[in-house]
Amino acid sequence: MITLNHYLVLSGLLFSIGLVGVIKRKNLLMLFFATEIMLNAVNVGFAAISNHYGDLSGQMFAFFIIAIAASEVAVGLGLLILMYKRKSSVDLDTLTTMKG
Amino acid sequence: MEKYLYIALFAPLLGSLTAALFGARPKTLFTGLWTSGLLAVSWISSILLFLHVYADPSANVVHVKMIDWISAGNLSIPFGFVVDQVSVTMMIVVTTVSTMVHVYAIGYMSHDKGFNRFFSWLSAFVFSMMILVMSDNFAGLFIGWEGVGLCSWGLIGFWYHKQSATWAANEAFIMNRIADLGMLIGIFLIYWNTGTLQYNEAFTAMPNLEHTLLITIGSFLFVGAMGKSAQFPLHTWLADAMEGPTPVSALIHAATMVTAGVYLVIRANPLYDLIPEVGYVIASLGAFVAMFAATMALVNRDIKRIIAYSTLSQLGYMFVAAGLGAYWVALFHLMTHAFFKALLFLGAGNVMHAMDDELDPFKMGGLYKVMKPTAILMILASVALAGIYPFAGFFSKDKILEVAFNGDHYILWGVLWVTAGLTAFYSFRLIMLTFFGDERYKKLGFHPHEAYPYMLWAMAPLAVLAAVAGFFEHSFVHFVTTLLPSYEFHTHHVEMILIAVTSTIAILGIATAVIIYKNGMLHPKWMERPCYKLFTNQYYIPQFYDAVFSRPYKELSVIFWKQIDMKIVDATVDLIANTLFNIGKDTRGVQSGNLSIMLRWMALGVTMLLIFGLIFVAAATLLG
Amino acid sequence: MSEHILSILVFFPLVAGLLGILVDKDSIRPYAITVAGIEFILSIWLWSEFDMNFAGMQFIESVPLIEQFGISYTLGVDGISLFLIIMTTLVTFISLGSLTVTNRVKELMITVLVLELTMVGVFVALDAILFYLFWELSLVPMLYIIGVWGGPKRLYAGIKFFLYTFTGSLIMLVGMLYMAYLYYQATGTWSFSLLEWYRLQLPYDLQLWLFGAFFLGFAIKVPMFPFHTWLPYAHGQAPTIGSVILAAVLLKMGTYGFVRFSLPLFPDASVTFMVPIAVLAIIMIIYTAMVAYAQEDIKQVVAYSSVSHMGVIILGTFALNVEGITGSIFLMISHGIVSGALFMLVGVIYDRRHTKLMSEFGGLAHVMPRFATIFGIMMMASVGLPLTIGFVGEFLSLLGFYEQSHMLTLLAGTAIIVGAIYMLSAYKKAFFGEVTNEKNRNLPDVNRVELFALVPLTALVVILGVYPKPILEPVDRSVTAMVKLMHAKAVTDEGKDRIADVLVTKEAK
Repeated sequence: MITLNHYLVLSGLLFSIGLVGVIKRKNLLMLFFATEIMLNAVNVGFAAISNHYGDLSGQMFAFFIIAIAASEVAVGLGLLILMYKRKSSVDLDTLTTMKG
Repeated sequence: MEKYLYIALFAPLLGSLTAALFGARPKTLFTGLWTSGLLAVSWISSILLFLHVYADPSANVVHVKMIDWISAGNLSIPFGFVVDQVSVTMMIVVTTVSTMVHVYAIGYMSHDKGFNRFFSWLSAFVFSMMILVMSDNFAGLFIGWEGVGLCSWGLIGFWYHKQSATWAANEAFIMNRIADLGMLIGIFLIYWNTGTLQYNEAFTAMPNLEHTLLITIGSFLFVGAMGKSAQFPLHTWLADAMEGPTPVSALIHAATMVTAGVYLVIRANPLYDLIPEVGYVIASLGAFVAMFAATMALVNRDIKRIIAYSTLSQLGYMFVAAGLGAYWVALFHLMTHAFFKALLFLGAGNVMHAMDDELDPFKMGGLYKVMKPTAILMILASVALAGIYPFAGFFSKDKILEVAFNGDHYILWGVLWVTAGLTAFYSFRLIMLTFFGDERYKKLGFHPHEAYPYMLWAMAPLAVLAAVAGFFEHSFVHFVTTLLPSYEFHTHHVEMILIAVTSTIAILGIATAVIIYKNGMLHPKWMERPCYKLFTNQYYIPQFYDAVFSRPYKELSVIFWKQIDMKIVDATVDLIANTLFNIGKDTRGVQSGNLSIMLRWMALGVTMLLIFGLIFVAAATLLG
Repeated sequence: MSEHILSILVFFPLVAGLLGILVDKDSIRPYAITVAGIEFILSIWLWSEFDMNFAGMQFIESVPLIEQFGISYTLGVDGISLFLIIMTTLVTFISLGSLTVTNRVKELMITVLVLELTMVGVFVALDAILFYLFWELSLVPMLYIIGVWGGPKRLYAGIKFFLYTFTGSLIMLVGMLYMAYLYYQATGTWSFSLLEWYRLQLPYDLQLWLFGAFFLGFAIKVPMFPFHTWLPYAHGQAPTIGSVILAAVLLKMGTYGFVRFSLPLFPDASVTFMVPIAVLAIIMIIYTAMVAYAQEDIKQVVAYSSVSHMGVIILGTFALNVEGITGSIFLMISHGIVSGALFMLVGVIYDRRHTKLMSEFGGLAHVMPRFATIFGIMMMASVGLPLTIGFVGEFLSLLGFYEQSHMLTLLAGTAIIVGAIYMLSAYKKAFFGEVTNEKNRNLPDVNRVELFALVPLTALVVILGVYPKPILEPVDRSVTAMVKLMHAKAVTDEGKDRIADVLVTKEAK
């Protein structure tokens, strides 16, 4: 039987994959991918719990996250293109102007 | 009668303040005359007060309270003054010698740039001394005490361009301060145990105090006296104080300031009568100092220092008398000594002036021909000092020896007797070397001349007093013992023998000196002997003090500053500050500006929070 | 007007100072001196209106600020603070009058006036938070004075001064808050009013903690050993006017705090800590005197001598009897005058030679006799010569503490010896001997601007030395009341024993 636990484990695994990606990746585009993976992992989790408890608010939350993720990607990719035009690279390590 | 008290007290102050106005200006004869005149006024007032008190000692004591000085808590110290038998005697001594010295100094300092400043300080000194002897409470005594210390500093270091003078001035002040601490502790003890600092009230309360407490008080007060009267071991400043002009030595270091310690013991006689053990210690110390100083005077090659050691020696005599309870004898010797010692110093001043401030008697000789009046005056003073009848010193010194013998203190008597011989010897050694024998000065190119006549006239009254003061012994005793305890002599049967014995050794001393020095100096082989070296170098005590106290203190101070204050205390503060600063600097790396690093920190933070949350929840559920 | 005299005294310099921004540069000097002069006259007027026979607080004004926490704007003056206020206004007035700084004079004068506000405020505040406010505020103008018009290492010195003192004060603030909380627990209402705190009797162990907290704040300000190392730097780098005000007034805020807060609020803790604090005071006296003796810079000699004298003040305060505390307060005033004058005198020679090293001087008495005389008088006052103002306070403080401990007072009494050693030595190096340095040969003597400051101070030194009664009397009365309060509030037996019982008159045993 596929229980709630399986979904939560899946969600956790996906989240960790995304987290590792966020930590390790130098390429900004890959960073976006990893962030998307994390968001979707959370979506899976929400949907599973919502189904388990019969409460629809979890799935509504997942919808919100999908919408927000999409808009965030739009803005982020726009900024990424601008950055590429300026620095001709999408390497994270070139972003150092906020050094303390 | 009160107005005479105020006149006697404040006339010198007025003189000092007016002279101070001209302090920085070149010499004006007016300052000398004005201050001397005011001192003469003070002198006359003192005499009038004396006659008043003498007429009826028990009823005519003059007592005034001016204003409240310090009142806090239960303490109330007024500016109060009393003219009783003891203080009026001191007043007469102080004003007489001061007036003569002032007049003398007009001549002595006539070529000095700081003429006005000198008289300002000198009169200020007399004012402080008057406060000291006229005060009716211990705090007033302390005011005068410190005041004379200040004026002594200013006068010893008068020629402030000379390093030796300013060094001696500082030495005197600091040594006196060490003793003053003892006096302060004594004053504190008196206040906290009797509730008052007034003489009469404190002394009335003292018999009710515990004996050990009285010993403590007496000891601490005597420590104060030791500083002022230069008793061993606080004696080195007195010889060095000869850096000051000779009138200063005559006034301060012969007649007045150094006698303040003796005055204190005499004034506190109700206390010291209760603690004869302490008195015996005082007397023993006095006898020691008498002999100690006399040995150093035997070989010294500086006329002023010889006389200074002589003063120290005689102070020892006074303390023997006071310590053994014969207070009037001490006071009497104080008085006679003031006269002939001041005279001796003033004469030495004449000699110095004649010899261009040369101090070594070995460079003089045969000055009798050129300076007959001075020579006669100095011989007179020396004879008085040696204690030969009929001069004053005979009466007073003899009495002290009698006191020692009387109390069966034969060792003390022996020491004092030998010292009497030494005293006579070194006094006449000085006279012979300076005034008689070969005229060594001629080879060295000096052209001595006698002092101004008015200076000699100023010295004359002192000479007269040194000659005849002894004959007033009986009236003096009668007068003073209405206040001071009289001393019972049990030695009337041996009195004449004692006098004969004492006079013999004195005459022997004089004769020895005359014979040895008749033809000039002593054989140089004498100077090789170890005891000669010991005496000449003042028993190496100044070097000892320098090596054990002065230099280590300075080095310790530098260590305290450079090593401890800067390296340890301050470094600790800076360490704390730098640690904080470095922590900040190191943690700045967190703000690297690099997104991936910051994301890593964020991830780490989230993980930590989760773990803590889990632990917290687990703990909460486990512990319920 | 007399009901609000204290508020006027506090805020007048601030208002006048802010208005001074509008005054143009050339008239700022007379303007500031006039303002300071008016302030001084107001404080004298306060003295004349002061009732000498009343021991408690007078001219009390109280306006609640934050009702829920009991913070109010309460001012009051009694014998203890009256003369500190007068000394503050006097020192500000004459130091402004003899100012010789020429760059950015306007900013300096306004800063000094704002500083005056905070100083007077500290001495009249009767609400703990208000006191703390003025206390901390005084650091800011002082930081500016050191940091802008100071010497080469001024930033280090100023920041060190600020942060060091600030840290101590923060701990004191914690103590204050805890004290208010205890008051709330005991009575049910919040209050920071000092007069109400006086009525609270605290248990012994709490007293110890609170005393410690307040102690840190005050001890760093005084400054007590080993928290004193900010002072030599601050004095060394500050301009003359900064040093004068720092030494004369700001240091007294610390000792005033002890008398106003630590002693009456925590009597038993004061008794317990008396011996350790006395030991610290003795170290201050002797150690800093020795360090002063080793100095080569004459201003540092005076700076370390300040610490040495503060040691005697602390000793007098912790004598816990009327004589000692009265002596310590009088010594506060006396030290303010004498140290202020000494720093001004150092400023005089610095203005001429731009160096403070004693090796550069020597023989100055030949060249500047009047200067040498005034310096000599101040030196003797510093050393504690009777008939100068310096003796009265020192005598009473030592006398008072003698009752508590003979041995410690004997050690502390060496203050008169070590004080004489460094002072006489410094005077000799600078003034006596021949004129060794050619640059010294033609220095002008003190001029009228400098004498404007020095003559009144010299006069006070002598007059108050001879007749200290006008000051001693009201101080004595207020201190007696305070000691009575302390004795009544003491909860431990040792407290009752050690704190003088002023109802018992001294009899010969």
